[in-house]
Amino acid sequence: MSEVKYLTEFYHLPEFKGIEGYKKNGGYVELGKALKMQPQEIIDVVKASGLRGRGGAGFPTGMKWGFLPKNGEERYLLCNADEGEPGTFKDRMMMERAPHQLIEGMIISGFAIGSKKSYIYVRGEYDESINSLLAAIQEAYKAGYLGKNILGSGFDHDMDVYRGAGAYICGEETGMISSLEGLKGQPKLKPPFPAVQGYLKKPTIVNNVETLAAVKYIIRDGAEGYRKYGTEKSAGSKLFSLSGNVNKPGNYEVPLGYPLKDMINVLGGGIKNGKKLKAVIPGGSSAPVLTAEEAMKATLDYENLAAAGTMLGSGAIIVIDDSKCMVECLANLTHFYHHESCGQCTPCREGTGWVDKIVHSILSGKGRLQDIELLVKVADNMKGRTICALSDAAALPIISFVTKFRDEFEYFVKEGKSKVKGTAYKGHAYAATASH
Amino acid sequence: MQQQPLINCTINGVALQVKAGTTIIEAMYENSQKIAHYCWHPGLSIAGVCRLCMVEIEGNPRLQIACNTVVTEGMKVNNTSEKVKDAAKWGLDFHLINHPLDCPICDQAGECGLQEQYMEFGKYNSEMAEKKQKKHKVVDLGPTVVLDSERCILCSRCVRFTDEVSKTHELGIFNRGDHAEIGTHAGKPLDNKYSLNTVDICPVGALTSKDFRFRQRVWFLKDQETVCNGCSTGCNVKVYFNKEGVFRVKPKRNDAINGHWMCDEGRDIYKFVNKEHRMIKGHKLANGVWNTELHAGAAAKDAALSLQGVTGNDIALVVTGQHTVEELEAIVSTFVNTYKTKNVYHWWNSEATASEFDGILLRGDKNPNTKGLQQVFAKHGITTKFSDLDPSKVKHLVVVGPENVPVYKDFTAKLEFFAKASNLIYMTAAKVDSLVANKNLAVGGKTATIIPLKTFVEKAGTFVNHAGVSQTFKKVTTVVSEALTLVEAAALLAGQEIKVETLNPKNLLVAANERADKVTLDFRKKNEFIFQRGKL
Amino acid sequence: MAVMQNTSEKSKWYLPGIFTGLWITWKHMIKNIGNKEQMITLNYPEEKYEYSPRFKGNHILTVKKDGAIRCTACMLCATNCPADCIKITASEHPDPHVEKYPISYEIDMLRCVFCGFCEEACPVDAIRLGPEWQTPGLNGANFTYDIKQLAYRPGLKGGVQSVVDDQERLKSGI
Repeated sequence: MSEVKYLTEFYHLPEFKGIEGYKKNGGYVELGKALKMQPQEIIDVVKASGLRGRGGAGFPTGMKWGFLPKNGEERYLLCNADEGEPGTFKDRMMMERAPHQLIEGMIISGFAIGSKKSYIYVRGEYDESINSLLAAIQEAYKAGYLGKNILGSGFDHDMDVYRGAGAYICGEETGMISSLEGLKGQPKLKPPFPAVQGYLKKPTIVNNVETLAAVKYIIRDGAEGYRKYGTEKSAGSKLFSLSGNVNKPGNYEVPLGYPLKDMINVLGGGIKNGKKLKAVIPGGSSAPVLTAEEAMKATLDYENLAAAGTMLGSGAIIVIDDSKCMVECLANLTHFYHHESCGQCTPCREGTGWVDKIVHSILSGKGRLQDIELLVKVADNMKGRTICALSDAAALPIISFVTKFRDEFEYFVKEGKSKVKGTAYKGHAYAATASH
Repeated sequence: MQQQPLINCTINGVALQVKAGTTIIEAMYENSQKIAHYCWHPGLSIAGVCRLCMVEIEGNPRLQIACNTVVTEGMKVNNTSEKVKDAAKWGLDFHLINHPLDCPICDQAGECGLQEQYMEFGKYNSEMAEKKQKKHKVVDLGPTVVLDSERCILCSRCVRFTDEVSKTHELGIFNRGDHAEIGTHAGKPLDNKYSLNTVDICPVGALTSKDFRFRQRVWFLKDQETVCNGCSTGCNVKVYFNKEGVFRVKPKRNDAINGHWMCDEGRDIYKFVNKEHRMIKGHKLANGVWNTELHAGAAAKDAALSLQGVTGNDIALVVTGQHTVEELEAIVSTFVNTYKTKNVYHWWNSEATASEFDGILLRGDKNPNTKGLQQVFAKHGITTKFSDLDPSKVKHLVVVGPENVPVYKDFTAKLEFFAKASNLIYMTAAKVDSLVANKNLAVGGKTATIIPLKTFVEKAGTFVNHAGVSQTFKKVTTVVSEALTLVEAAALLAGQEIKVETLNPKNLLVAANERADKVTLDFRKKNEFIFQRGKL
Repeated sequence: MAVMQNTSEKSKWYLPGIFTGLWITWKHMIKNIGNKEQMITLNYPEEKYEYSPRFKGNHILTVKKDGAIRCTACMLCATNCPADCIKITASEHPDPHVEKYPISYEIDMLRCVFCGFCEEACPVDAIRLGPEWQTPGLNGANFTYDIKQLAYRPGLKGGVQSVVDDQERLKSGI
């Protein structure tokens, strides 16, 4: 297997960004095709294609669409472009290089689920993505792909871009819905699920940028055509954001089931500065870390990574070489989750702060040996106890870091300095207790 | 009515039948099973944020929250397994790690949700060695409420209250994560007529009432249920008191009348009950000199003497809707039967605004028993109008004054008006200094008597509220022991004797054939101070 | 109860006993005059016995570094008091870190049984039972000690400082 150019086929063309270039390279063909189909047909094709959510949870997209109530009630399609997961930058490239690809996928999806209005919730920092999307939507309206009676099919669809304000939690679907409604971006209690009661208490489907863009290709190639790449249960190709200590970091599209080893060594060009691989976080900062041995065996698909005790997540592969201190890496993560916890559920609000304080007290040389055990215990009790998955996301890396690299933590507690670097922590001198 | 289908479920091994749509926590509450919780409140929407009401459902590997899980047919729930206990313990620990240890100066201590749940489900040593989160203390939220953010556990009950019940939306949670705080928007303080309910529903000492703050420790107070006499809604309330007087009023749940709430006005009703605002001694004016040290009973007897033989149009009675049905019946029948007069007038301060209603609880009629008074009048066939009363024509005027004086806006003017009678007998629970100082009274050989009465907390009786619901309540406590109830005063005015109720020796705590120093365990339990606080 | 009486002949010879007793008295008197330091009695009230600091005598309300009263008016002493002799009126302190303090603190010394439960109940080392034990007074009112007497009576020389350090407490985040 090697790298593929399926979604990213024309990404190298600057003209692909505009509607003319897009149409020249096969754009908006599938829209016409889809509008002639029955909505249920499209849902069935998507179901058969085995497309799974590319945002992190990997929930089968067709099944999600099937949860919508079968009535004429007003419903919404939301595109989750609040790409907040540390290490992920694939959606940004898709929105900047091929905004029409997303828009076309969204119109098709909107037609399939019967939604007349959709929103793209873009992360506030993605200035260029927002501009490119806004321009593309303008073009699509002018060309008659959006608005009333699209391509004479009688289907109306409106699209808008909503700019987030930079909260990680708004990447969670119900948190995003709250934010879109003008409320504080806090996840909502489930049930009711968004497919039943979401944006403005109407049935709502929330999908990732890459998922929606892939819909266009499923229509083009059919379910079987889409299954050309990938494995039985993880169909299709996926974009991976490779970062960390590799020679060639960047976005790579590979079929699911691609070996992680090749991703690092072949596509990534090996570890930077000739260092040795120590650990890999395979699916964004929320995914449990893999050691070098585990990473060598892993393949990039939902099942294999789940079997390895981690997850595919958003496809952000963070490579860590052996010159990095794992305690410091964890401190970076706990600080992030402490900062981003919305503060609604107690275990997450207090737990993320607590583990952050513990890790920083270890870093400052004041750690106690029982703190290491305590970290795992606290994380264990944050896991699965909250409304959304943020506390799981915060807890899983902690558990995996501490259990897999326990010797480094113990060394830091006993000696007050890093085992790898041999020096005390000199990181940015923020106090864990300071209010932000 | 169509019978709703009942759903079978098993909670902690007890087979139950509940209505469709009932959540697990409601089912557990209805069957008085214990479950830890903070954010859930039966009168508010579900937030599901405290994550304390974890239960184990058979067939589900993950623990679920009981407040947002609807009971389904055949569901088997338990919250006594080790897994659930551990989850509750950790849930509490997360609540407590940043909670300051200022229980000694916290007003909530003694009725605090955290303390209770800790004793019930927690009991462990904290493993947190790091510093606690610092937040704002003693934040002035508005005219009635003070906030201590450090104590707050962000259950969002108060926020939901202002959003859902009072619909004033003053409160919100600001900031994120563990520096989130409750607060008000700039220029919009927590100032509504129901603001103090947020203090009641606050499970910790984060919100405290400015009125009650630091006045008493709650374990020095006892409580007794009664009916609020602030307006014609007739909210069920709990009055908290000790030997020094009454200290606060809190609502008691009654879904038919007031739900879980009461208004801020109603919370002030304890104030006129306390001694400093009360008429303690009987007063008598004779020959231009006030005798201010008369016993209440003696004053009533003197008044009865001055009314001896008076009948018909020489005498009139003025009553307000602030007294119980039993009392009004006693005084009106005394006038109808003993004094053979139907000159009984209804002094109604808020007749014009009586039909006003704010949509939640507050009503324009500031008397708790106007309906009851009208029923008594109807029974005796009295159809007088207050405007027809002319005190200068009736020689003997008996007035049963209101106890909640602040709601009688024209009180002083009315007193002047009554003072025109040549013999005024004024019965009141409230202090009426203006009457004693009234110079109109002291001239022309007029006589006047003031008889101290008991307030609504000092007697049992019945109020009939605006909707005609009659609510009987019990005596709460005694504040002014020598004051008379209106029933007693009516009997004395009728020339009868009243007896002090004494306990029959046989009914005394010690039976006659037992050793005098033997006290049964039962009584000891009763005698022990048991602080009854409502469910969270 | 029967009283044992010594009615023997020998008991009638009482004079030797008296002289023995007088001799002992004389011996001690002369010894004391000769060596005043070793004298075991005190010339009360000119001389007073200093009890151990752990003696449960009159109460002391401790003070903070700035001399303000340490007590937070939590009323745990009053709750714990078996004699019901402590009466506290609390009020709002202008400093939000102190929050609550007593505007009146009265102990009825005549009711007090000096059990020390108040000292044990106090969470902030605000009340102690001191070594003073002489409590003269002319009438009942003199025995109701207020803050002035409990914290700042002349014998305490401006107040006994509590071991609880506020700055330290606030810094450590308690």
